[in-house]
Amino acid sequence: MPRLCRHTRRALDWALTIAIRAAVLLVVLPLALPLAISTVAFAESPDVAHWAFKRPVQAALPAVKSAGWARNAIDALVLAKLEVRHIEPAPEADRRTLIRRLSLDVLGLPPSPDDVARFVADPAPDAYERLVDRLLASPHFSERQARHWLDLARYADSAGYESDLPRSVWRYRDWVIGALNRDLPFDRFVIEQIAGDLLPGAAAAQVIASGFHAGAMYDPGVRWESVLDQVSTTGTVFLGLSVGCAQCHDHKFDPVSQREFYALYAFFDSAEISPFELAAPAEKTARDALQARVDALKKKRTDYEAALKQSLAAWAGGLSSDERSKLPPPAQAALPTTGGEPSAESVSNLLAARAASDPQFQAMCREIDERTKEVPLLETTLTMRAEPRETHLFVRGNHEQPGEVVAPGVPAFLHPLPHADQPTRLDLARWLVAPENPLVARVTVNRIWQRYFGSGLVETENDFGVQTPAPEHQDLLDWLACEFVARGWSLKAVHRLILCSATYRQSSHARPDLQAIDPTNRLLARQRRLRVEAEIIRDLALAAGGLLSLKIGGPSVFPYEPEGVLDGRATKATWTTSPGADRYRRGLYTWTWRLTPHPMLALFDAPDASMACTRRDRSNTPIQALTLLNDPTFVECARRLARRVLAQEAGDHRDRLARTYQICFSRDPRPDEADVLLRLLEVEISELRADADGARQIAGELPPEADAAELAAWTVVCRAILSLDEFVTRE
Amino acid sequence: MCDSGHDLRQTRRQFFGTSALSLAPLALASLLDEAGAHEAHSAGAGPFAPRPPHHAPRAKRVIFLYMVGGPSQIDLFEPKSALVERDGQPIPESYLKGIKFAQIQEKQPRLMGSPWRFARHGQCGADVSELLPHTATVVDHLSIVKTMKADDTNHAFAELQMNTGWRRFGRPSMGSWISYGLGSESRDLPGFTVLLSGMRPRSKSANYGNGFLPSAYQGVPLRATGDPILNLSSPAGFTPKRERRTLETIRALDAARFDVTGDPEIAARISAYEMAFRMQTSAPRLLDLSSETAETLAMYGIADAARPTFARNCLLARRLVERGVRFVQLFHGDWDHHSHIASGLPDQCRQTDQPAAALVKDLAARGLLDETLVIWGGEFGRSSVAQGPKDANVGRDHNIDAFTMWLAGGGIRPGQTLGTTDELGCFAAGDSFHIYDLQATILHLLGLDHERLTYRFQGRDFRLTDVYGNVIEKLLA
Repeated sequence: MPRLCRHTRRALDWALTIAIRAAVLLVVLPLALPLAISTVAFAESPDVAHWAFKRPVQAALPAVKSAGWARNAIDALVLAKLEVRHIEPAPEADRRTLIRRLSLDVLGLPPSPDDVARFVADPAPDAYERLVDRLLASPHFSERQARHWLDLARYADSAGYESDLPRSVWRYRDWVIGALNRDLPFDRFVIEQIAGDLLPGAAAAQVIASGFHAGAMYDPGVRWESVLDQVSTTGTVFLGLSVGCAQCHDHKFDPVSQREFYALYAFFDSAEISPFELAAPAEKTARDALQARVDALKKKRTDYEAALKQSLAAWAGGLSSDERSKLPPPAQAALPTTGGEPSAESVSNLLAARAASDPQFQAMCREIDERTKEVPLLETTLTMRAEPRETHLFVRGNHEQPGEVVAPGVPAFLHPLPHADQPTRLDLARWLVAPENPLVARVTVNRIWQRYFGSGLVETENDFGVQTPAPEHQDLLDWLACEFVARGWSLKAVHRLILCSATYRQSSHARPDLQAIDPTNRLLARQRRLRVEAEIIRDLALAAGGLLSLKIGGPSVFPYEPEGVLDGRATKATWTTSPGADRYRRGLYTWTWRLTPHPMLALFDAPDASMACTRRDRSNTPIQALTLLNDPTFVECARRLARRVLAQEAGDHRDRLARTYQICFSRDPRPDEADVLLRLLEVEISELRADADGARQIAGELPPEADAAELAAWTVVCRAILSLDEFVTRE
Repeated sequence: MCDSGHDLRQTRRQFFGTSALSLAPLALASLLDEAGAHEAHSAGAGPFAPRPPHHAPRAKRVIFLYMVGGPSQIDLFEPKSALVERDGQPIPESYLKGIKFAQIQEKQPRLMGSPWRFARHGQCGADVSELLPHTATVVDHLSIVKTMKADDTNHAFAELQMNTGWRRFGRPSMGSWISYGLGSESRDLPGFTVLLSGMRPRSKSANYGNGFLPSAYQGVPLRATGDPILNLSSPAGFTPKRERRTLETIRALDAARFDVTGDPEIAARISAYEMAFRMQTSAPRLLDLSSETAETLAMYGIADAARPTFARNCLLARRLVERGVRFVQLFHGDWDHHSHIASGLPDQCRQTDQPAAALVKDLAARGLLDETLVIWGGEFGRSSVAQGPKDANVGRDHNIDAFTMWLAGGGIRPGQTLGTTDELGCFAAGDSFHIYDLQATILHLLGLDHERLTYRFQGRDFRLTDVYGNVIEKLLA
């Protein structure tokens, strides 16, 4: 790669950055000065001395000896620390590894063999950067990143709790995808999700964005639990603080008092989760007219029922003894002969019995039923809606013990809330992304970093509180955080910076030389191999089998699910496998019943959507192995991959195997690897030639003129390949 | 890592090097032996590697017979003559103040004595009603706790409190905590296994979920229909011989990748595949009851071994702990007798009494009870007052203030009753034991300190017992 070109590009990059920063500084400085003065007042408190509670500063970049290695500021900061310890960075991964790594990280999709070949052969010095740009521009980038964000939003398609009723909030999911795709500046991204409904003249899309909190678990009977969760989630996601700890008592470590917790609570307490109608005004008007007709009929029936009640005694008196005995026992209790004053309950039972036998009343009921059916159910999505309330602190966190009244407010150790008589969620949202907030940019870039290196620069990605010491790479974290804000809160700019760094491009192979010094890779002298997430594992298998539907957005879908998952629910839930290509949509579109999650997703550490999940585990279990080998979806993918390879590749078995490896691993098999698989293939072919039934069972539905034994043997091979560690791992 | 790396390189050399790439000579047995050796080497790395307890354990395994819905202790363990005498009278005002009903709306509900006869049983003289004739025969093994206390009258939340220590969704279950704390000693079955019969718990799999712990610690339900473990069976056409070849191929290629990358995660995956393969043999064997004698089947009351009854599950629980499974949880319902208690409660007892007692006897006879803690109980108990008019439909509402559970084996003092309730059976009179105390005690018996078994999530160290819990010393042998 010619050096000049890269350097020129970098110089241009930096010049631009500096220009933007200068401009930002001009605007921010006058605002920041009074703040700086007010901060001095806090300087005594040890809490404020905590590194993460001070605003990040973009320090000058250190001088490094191997300047040729560093491609951008990230690298200079990483390299400086390595050089102090006389550690060389790991070599750059080869291009095949790089394109697969990038594709899995950025899109969650495998690169096609053609993409790989093109990239490997691309002689242009900026081939890598162009690839990054192409991937960041792909709409699938935003699907991949949206799933990460939905983990924070504890997004699901049902309400949770015992009843776990279905509801519609997928428009919010699609809003996230769209916003990330057009790189909506992160400050606006946050404001619209916390308080889009309160924006002056809010557009429908901005109201939909408030599904961030509205789409979480919700039961109106325990509404306060949702509000508590909204406060905790806001603290975790935007501040990296466990404010939820202050629900019952002052925070044990961080400077958040219980009172301050409820001051935050007050913002969310003054809101209702409500369905927002997405229909056009004309549709709503038409619906309202039909509903008004039903309401009028109901009013008429109520009046008629009142008249029936008036004459109830007379009616009962006129009944024959036979007719009386046929009344339901609870109604008989109200008959005049019983003596005494009949209870209200028995009277209403008697009235019901009369109404049931009154033709006119019954006709009214029928008409109401029919007219009700004509009222269309307009599509809705869950959103927040302002609903002012007086908030009381919960004594010891117990909602049954309301304490003093608390006004909305923010923790005193952080920057002050701009003055407002009655601050709202919108004020809180703006406060969260105010330039003075020392946390939000750090926490956000740290989470992005975590996606690309397996853990954040701050390992406790959800706790930047006083318990968390300054990380090894605080300078890098702060540099990125400042850069993020300076580049207009552009998420894509942060992604690009990280992806283009030499640090990211390093090989992920273990380094025995660093095992003792840096076992957890805090120094970043290599990349890491990472098992991909639950949804992506399935996406990769479907892609290998040529089955994956790349349709973006829309209502959630129902892929294959084993029987029995929904058994025994208190409320009915259904799972009818989606027809056609919708069975093979990407994992993030799979319908989620919170109470009865899809077992494949739960097995591979997909979060349960009860609380914000800021980091998924990557567990590695026998049940996962059984799933990759035997789950009907994966078996189907193996069959389709076999068919695909046989159809596409005219050469011999070795050529076909190479093709399979290119599809699955973006590389050719090593000769010894190929030998092992070809040996398996040959044994299988010869056995299956003699076992037509076995061949048919393995190959499944046969394409016309297929050689069943060959297809079956290839299915055996492909199933093994899809179960390899490398297949589910981004290297 | 160095040791396991050495192992894998050996395997790779055997596989690719000397044997001219022939798969046949590589007997699976030797691969599995190696796997065993490999696992021993990598103990400490994998999620299931056995981990040392905090102190010497009294119990090695737990069988929790979870009674979904809340059994009526008033009709099973609590003879209350005052309640019988005052049957039909309004409950005194003084009692009403502290009671939280789940469904009863009446201002002054009426007391309801148990229609069932009680007698004292065993040397310990424990009170057991005629509905539990089999349990009555094992009381000298049991500690019966009559003053258990829960906090939530809602089933879903109360279940979660009992099983996860928290009245909301999202926390790890007790079995997950224990698997996380101690690892697994079973090489071919999940260390936390769940058996379901009758009605499921209201909050479903969250009762045996991993919450924020890695999914490796999820309870694995043995399924009643189809594969006992999800995706256990190989697809049609994949004969054992073919599967062996496939597994050998996967292992060889994974080992080769390990050679290139040096990533210990690959070693863990190889172990996982080998355990999966062993499960394919061991799980059907576990479920095959043909080796059990007719006497054993009769003792548990198993008429049809193929039906997923509570009786069958009790026998499976014994077979699971015999195979080193650490935490077995049975769920059986429905004990939620808001109505029709007169018919519903005897029916539940018929399904559960004999097998639960048989399990205790069987474990004792096989010398397993000493190290196996058996727990019986649900999320709460039932009210001393009637719900609904007193006819055939009458039932009982919930009681979260004083309900009965029993424990046996695994370091539990046998033949005692702990706690007494007031004369109407509404509240504890004296000692009261909270669910958190029970959880702390269970962990203690397993050698775990409930205050030290923590996991950091969202910036906080979480525990099964939240910020509560005291070990119930009186329960300990």
